[in-house]
Amino acid sequence: MAIGTLAPPLDVPAGPAPVAERSRIWRKFVRNPAALAGALVLLTVIGAAIFAPYVAPHDPTRQSLIRRFTPPVWTQTGKAAHLLGTDQVGRDILSRMIHGARVSLIVGISAVVVSLIVGVTLGLLSGFLQGRVDTVIMTVVDVTLSFPQLLLALAFVAALGPSLVTIIIVLGLTGWERYTRVVRAEVLALREKDFVEAARAIGASPTRTLLRHLLPNTFSSIIVMSTLQVAQAILQEAALSFLGVGTGSAYPTWGQMIALGRDFVSVAWWLPTFPGLAILLTVLAINLVGDRLRDALDPRVI
Amino acid sequence: MLTLLVRRVARLVVVLVGVSLVTFAILQVSGDPVALMMPEAPESDRAVLREAMGFNDPLPVQFARFVGSIARGDFGQSFFHREPALPLVLDRMPTTLLLTVLAMGLSLVLAVPIGIVSAIRRNSAFDHTATLVVFLGTSMPVFWTGIMLILLFAVQFRLLPVSGWESWAALILPGLTLATFSTPLLLRIVRSSMLEVINLDYVRTARAKGVSEWFVICRHALTNAALPLVTVAGLQFGLLLGGAVITETVFAVPGVGRLIVGAIRQLDFPIVQAGVFLLALIIVLVNFAVDMLYVYLNPQIRVR
Amino acid sequence: MKRYAPLAVVVVLAILACAAGPAAVSAQAKDTLTVALPSHAPTLDPHMHFERVGILVNINMFDSLLHRNTKLEFEPSLATSWKPLSDTQWEFKIRKGVRFHNGEIMTPADVKYSFDRVIDQTKKSPQYGNVRAIKEIKVVDGETIHLITDKPFPLLLERLVFFPIVNKKHVEAVGDQAFGTSSPVGTGPWKFVEWKRDQLIRLEAFDQHWRGKPAFKNLIFRAIPEVATQVAEIKTGGVDLIRNVSADIQPELKTHPVAYISSTPILRVHWIAFDMRSAPFDKKAARQAANYAIDKQTIIQRLMAGLGKQVATTVQPLAFGFDAEVKPYPFDQKKAKELLAQAGYPNGVDITLHSASVANRPEFEALGQMLTEVGLRATPRLWDPGPAWNKFSQGEGKGTHGVYGTWGNYSVFDADAVLHPLYHTEPGGWYGKWYARVEGLDKLIDEARSSVDQAKRKRLYSQIQQMIREEAPSAFLWTQYDTLGISKKVQYAARPDEWLWLFDAKPAAR
Repeated sequence: MAIGTLAPPLDVPAGPAPVAERSRIWRKFVRNPAALAGALVLLTVIGAAIFAPYVAPHDPTRQSLIRRFTPPVWTQTGKAAHLLGTDQVGRDILSRMIHGARVSLIVGISAVVVSLIVGVTLGLLSGFLQGRVDTVIMTVVDVTLSFPQLLLALAFVAALGPSLVTIIIVLGLTGWERYTRVVRAEVLALREKDFVEAARAIGASPTRTLLRHLLPNTFSSIIVMSTLQVAQAILQEAALSFLGVGTGSAYPTWGQMIALGRDFVSVAWWLPTFPGLAILLTVLAINLVGDRLRDALDPRVI
Repeated sequence: MLTLLVRRVARLVVVLVGVSLVTFAILQVSGDPVALMMPEAPESDRAVLREAMGFNDPLPVQFARFVGSIARGDFGQSFFHREPALPLVLDRMPTTLLLTVLAMGLSLVLAVPIGIVSAIRRNSAFDHTATLVVFLGTSMPVFWTGIMLILLFAVQFRLLPVSGWESWAALILPGLTLATFSTPLLLRIVRSSMLEVINLDYVRTARAKGVSEWFVICRHALTNAALPLVTVAGLQFGLLLGGAVITETVFAVPGVGRLIVGAIRQLDFPIVQAGVFLLALIIVLVNFAVDMLYVYLNPQIRVR
Repeated sequence: MKRYAPLAVVVVLAILACAAGPAAVSAQAKDTLTVALPSHAPTLDPHMHFERVGILVNINMFDSLLHRNTKLEFEPSLATSWKPLSDTQWEFKIRKGVRFHNGEIMTPADVKYSFDRVIDQTKKSPQYGNVRAIKEIKVVDGETIHLITDKPFPLLLERLVFFPIVNKKHVEAVGDQAFGTSSPVGTGPWKFVEWKRDQLIRLEAFDQHWRGKPAFKNLIFRAIPEVATQVAEIKTGGVDLIRNVSADIQPELKTHPVAYISSTPILRVHWIAFDMRSAPFDKKAARQAANYAIDKQTIIQRLMAGLGKQVATTVQPLAFGFDAEVKPYPFDQKKAKELLAQAGYPNGVDITLHSASVANRPEFEALGQMLTEVGLRATPRLWDPGPAWNKFSQGEGKGTHGVYGTWGNYSVFDADAVLHPLYHTEPGGWYGKWYARVEGLDKLIDEARSSVDQAKRKRLYSQIQQMIREEAPSAFLWTQYDTLGISKKVQYAARPDEWLWLFDAKPAAR
């Protein structure tokens, strides 16, 4: 058994969540006010991201050197045109945050998609083919888990040049192994079940049977894990921006706004604070929803 | 037991070879190292150096040579410092390890008691508040948490030094900052493991027999919670070690992360390779130790 | 079960109590001066690096032959006098009785040794290029040396202002490696105590320094990469001096009870290197259009708090050879659009601009917008400094269509130190090699750098400035100020060469 695979996949609820249970899960979910609030925040953010050009009051890249460092509207020198104030080159912070929601979510979700594609594929291969393929794939997982991932990501982004695509790929390639482990473990567990044998006996393809049972069995844990990974990717993008290799463009992400605003925190607190709050609330919301989802999907704790 | 150990060690070696392969690749993807070493030299001079350094050999040959050098502890001379890379990295490693261990310790100190109380008083106001506060910490970019802590504890209240690594007091804020990253998951583990065992029969029995509540919790529940806790703590240790660079930068801590980031900026590949390899080595060894501890804590595995 | 609830609270409080306990909050000794630098140089050997952060430390431990005062005049240091003997030969009289930190007396042999170790190509000193022209150093007698150059070398004295003299006997005894890491010995006001890499360099006043004892007994250079952390440190008294205080932070420190601000104009000039190899900037009209499109005054006033001066070319007002008769491009959007149409782009054109000047991001973004307004629709891309340096300047020259950057001449107050790197194409300066294609310019730069007739050089530089103003191989922007944040317990002022010559620092009178 591989070093990395010895640890049970901890984020994962055991067992399936059949249709019959859905109403129970839903009831468990809505009973929790924190999770509901989280869901509301998430809906708002996603709405802002989708409709950014329609809801943002200004062009997020439009500068005005005369209006730089305008404080938020409720302060003494605030201006009604800029609800949350302006930044170091006079761009509207609210508009940048709304558009930033878009880029931050694109980064987060795309990175997860990359991770899912790589992780699930390798997990399936590993589980089905077993033997040598399994050994090789699990070695790759172990090696991946052994690296200081942030530093490795930094090295690659620095070498390839900062861009949105680079960031997405690098973040995606540093988070896939969790899916591999879950999918593989599930495949291995299912193989031993009676109904697979039964299916084989009546002439059905065991692979097909496995796949049909595999999806519902792993679905819930993958949902939870990828929700949490979106939050992680948003924070990682911020970390890379802080280390100087963000998306490198004038089009904002939340992480970039905080990273660039941090130098001005003592003279214009609103620069890093509002995008900071946006990340805080969004990640918190994702965590609360994901957390509650896990509890709700987990039949063990009733 | 012995065969298990042998297999694990063999595994360790295989993983280390994989790690050196990726480390080796760092230099390969970044283009022509000779152009970096002598940017102003004419192409003819570069060709000579390239031949001399063996960059014209087939990649497998180069890789074998690379593994050989690593085994001897030779990562080459730092382009920037003009000194052997390995001692430079080793020099900084204790600082980063201390920071990471400190953060891990703080995390456990926070997570274990809060997790226990949260589990015992599930869905109470305490449970919800604790969860929320801890998640607040982990929902902010680490550098932002760090700067906020500086402004609050060092500038506003004047309780602690702003940055540096000269006194014990200076370790507290960076340790706390890094700990915000790992605490929530550990807290969750403690809480849910506690929930799992708290209603088990033997715990109830023990309680019914009138054994003190503390004793029950420590003896039975915590022993069971230890298993997942150790595993997660092991994985988290690796993440903390690699993520420490942000904290090191904010608090001017002279750790290995800053050295590596600086080396990435300077295109100083021997340092990047030595640093990344050594961090990976530590993570691999920690995971190995966790594995062994896991076997020790969970007798079932030994049988297999 | 309630009794467990306080447990967590107690733990948290305990941590905070530990925190409050030591409260080692920088009640620093009065005789200590602490300086924040973003990083440390790779070595303390003053000949084996060429990094600003290293030079700032080295100058306080080592002396050179000449010193430059705050009025930018040469002053005697380890050389008491100097004179040219011919176009290619100089004579220096060496100060007598100067002691190294190890007690040895400095001799002309030490001076010769110092030059030899840089000129010796096997030692690969990054400063080799600065003194390449020096062919030979002759020790004439106990107090005289002759420097012989292979051709007239007008920058010689400039180069000697930072050319530290080391002790031959000591360096040979400990070896180059140990000399740079654990045992640097010079004649300067402070001597080495310890170096914890990326943490601090600790120096101690040298009692036998020939100028006398410096005012501060201990001098510490801390490495603090974060600007926000540096600012927090100076506000709480953790450090006494921070560099490169941005215009936006200044008002806050100006009114702060423990700190003040000191600013002075410096050499550092900002410019955009146009890539003249490809469209649209292969056309002179397009390059001029860009120069007309930039509202330099607004950027200086709004983004730099007025701490800048617009320039006609990249030759700085403080540099030898500057010609005030050459006037800056005025801000004229209409003219810019006309010129762009004339260049063949009546509907504008999309361009990419690159930069690695992370600290100047607001300026870079403002430039992008100003160019866009006249039809040079610019996408600004900001890169991480390290890899970008190789990509855009010396290594690969991949900065199509332009690179925004700053140039500080390495503190050489001469037009050559900016013209050669920016515009010389063969064998080529850092940028000129790739981006500049101005016919006849190489010849003029070469002619000016190989003459010691200063009147003739001045004429040549005037001619060059007129030429590049017209040909516009760059967008010519502004020169900036250096701004220090200084603790009120210290008396010191920023210098035009960006040096931290801390022998001049004194405890503030109370």
